[in-house]
Amino acid sequence: MDFSTVLASVGEFLNGLGPTIVLPVIIIILGLILRMKIGAAIRSGLIVAVGFVGIFLTVGLLGSTVTEIGEAFAKNTGTGLSVIDIGWPAASSLAFGSPIGYLIIPLGILLNVILLLVRATKTLDVDLWNFWHIAFVGALVQFVTGNFWIALFAAVIAFVIALFLADWSAPMVQKYFNLPGISIPHLQSAGYMLLAVPFAWLLRKIPGLRNMKLNPDTTRKRLGLLGEPMVLGFVIGLILALVAGQDIAKALGTAITLAAVMLLIPRMVAILMEGLTPLAVAARTFMNDKFKGREVYIGLDAAVLVGSPAVIAAGLLMVPVEILLAIGLAPLGNQTLPFVDLADGVFVAALLAPLVGGDLVMTVILGAIVMGIGLWFCTQIAPAVSSMVQASTNIDIPEGYNLFTVMSDGSVPISYGFYYLAQTPVVVMIIVALAFVVGLYFLKTRFPLGEKFLPVIMAGEVAQATSTAPVAASDSAAASGDGAAAPKKKPAARGKDS
Amino acid sequence: MKKVWVVCATGVATSTMVRLRIEQFLADNGIPAVVTQYRVSELSADRVDADAIVTTTGMPDEYSAVVPVINGVALLTGIGEDAALEDLKKVLTAPE
Repeated sequence: MDFSTVLASVGEFLNGLGPTIVLPVIIIILGLILRMKIGAAIRSGLIVAVGFVGIFLTVGLLGSTVTEIGEAFAKNTGTGLSVIDIGWPAASSLAFGSPIGYLIIPLGILLNVILLLVRATKTLDVDLWNFWHIAFVGALVQFVTGNFWIALFAAVIAFVIALFLADWSAPMVQKYFNLPGISIPHLQSAGYMLLAVPFAWLLRKIPGLRNMKLNPDTTRKRLGLLGEPMVLGFVIGLILALVAGQDIAKALGTAITLAAVMLLIPRMVAILMEGLTPLAVAARTFMNDKFKGREVYIGLDAAVLVGSPAVIAAGLLMVPVEILLAIGLAPLGNQTLPFVDLADGVFVAALLAPLVGGDLVMTVILGAIVMGIGLWFCTQIAPAVSSMVQASTNIDIPEGYNLFTVMSDGSVPISYGFYYLAQTPVVVMIIVALAFVVGLYFLKTRFPLGEKFLPVIMAGEVAQATSTAPVAASDSAAASGDGAAAPKKKPAARGKDS
Repeated sequence: MKKVWVVCATGVATSTMVRLRIEQFLADNGIPAVVTQYRVSELSADRVDADAIVTTTGMPDEYSAVVPVINGVALLTGIGEDAALEDLKKVLTAPE
């Protein structure tokens, strides 16, 4: 028996065990390498497994509800929107539950350390959770090619791309959001930038567009209810069920189930996160020690950006925009019915808003452009996502139906790019991927975003700039002891005891 | 019992990291408090029922008028972490 057959049978064995057994073991081993105590490492591994069980249960609940309505909805409306978006919580568990997903955390840490050592990147990605976006790319490629090594190559390239995008946008992020020392290697937001930048440049040239002022604060207050996933789930669930021809009692039942799914899936992910966090902290400490005294950006979740008014408001506006896009683009081949990820439009908007100086109208236009194209990508990857869902939750999908997709990642051009490349000969994929990485390296070193290229403009309203500032300002003030940098919120935090 | 709200974009990822760090800090310092996670878009400043908000994301100005808002990004990066936790301790141990 040669080496590759041994590897193949080991891979088969691991796949047979499934993520609820394999991933905890990997977490425990990695935890011990990163010098966690054995009890804590075992506990981390167990919680991760429990989180997985919870996520698969809830996705199963979603699946059994929507398989009934998806097809009827498409037929009754004549829209052809038969592929339902099961959202990032489900996608993350599919990604971590794939062979690349098992390896992605140790692989990502190792790769990041190497790239920092050879000074190819300045970003130290401590956001282990979001390594799943990379694993998702790997899982897609593995689905298409059936080859672990090609999938591994794709994941490595996707990780390098994420780090380079973070380096590229770091000047803009740090200046616009006032987050010194931070970069965003989070593909769910950073992945749209390359597509959006030319349009942002164009929008900034159009005279008169800047005068179409839409106030982010009023928008946020008016659309507040859309910000609550449970309510969104209920309303959309009810509409879907009624249009699909269910009677009112059954439709209400469907609506309640979908409201439950919207609330429960993220809670399950939070359980999984509880297991991953001690590992993330251990990795952060471990890596910080290795790179003391170097200029290193800390790579974080794009979640740290979304509190800024333009981003929140644009994220809420993306709910109706995405639904209208889905219906409007159906004649052009879109079959994706936006659902779970409607609640996360903020991640689409997070890195688009600074490209246009936080102008709400322009941010939403950019969002509509990337999501309009993205919905088509989502439709294309539906067969892969459907098969992955079927394999992991045992939801029975009728032959010939592609029922599921994932809007958060499916709409990111990089995910689709790899899905497409995976269908080309391997040589083509390797050449294109490497050329892209080299191109991106030159882009980030020669044309850092927000400096020479698309210089940062701050939003017209002062309110916008100040309200994103406090988080970062109190951070830098705390670190440097520079009281002058601390605006309003810092005194408020100390106010009670003085 | 004092209440701490931990706020992030999804109420899932970064807020879990911050909640665990805060719970550990509170336990180490013997400060009793309930820590709950929220997503920023589901909150409204006129419904705040907390003694402190720790946020990993920028929050609209109206919140700082009703409750102390503390930087949680420091608890993600580890830079400035002690100062942020000290702020939280002051708020939670302040006499009514």
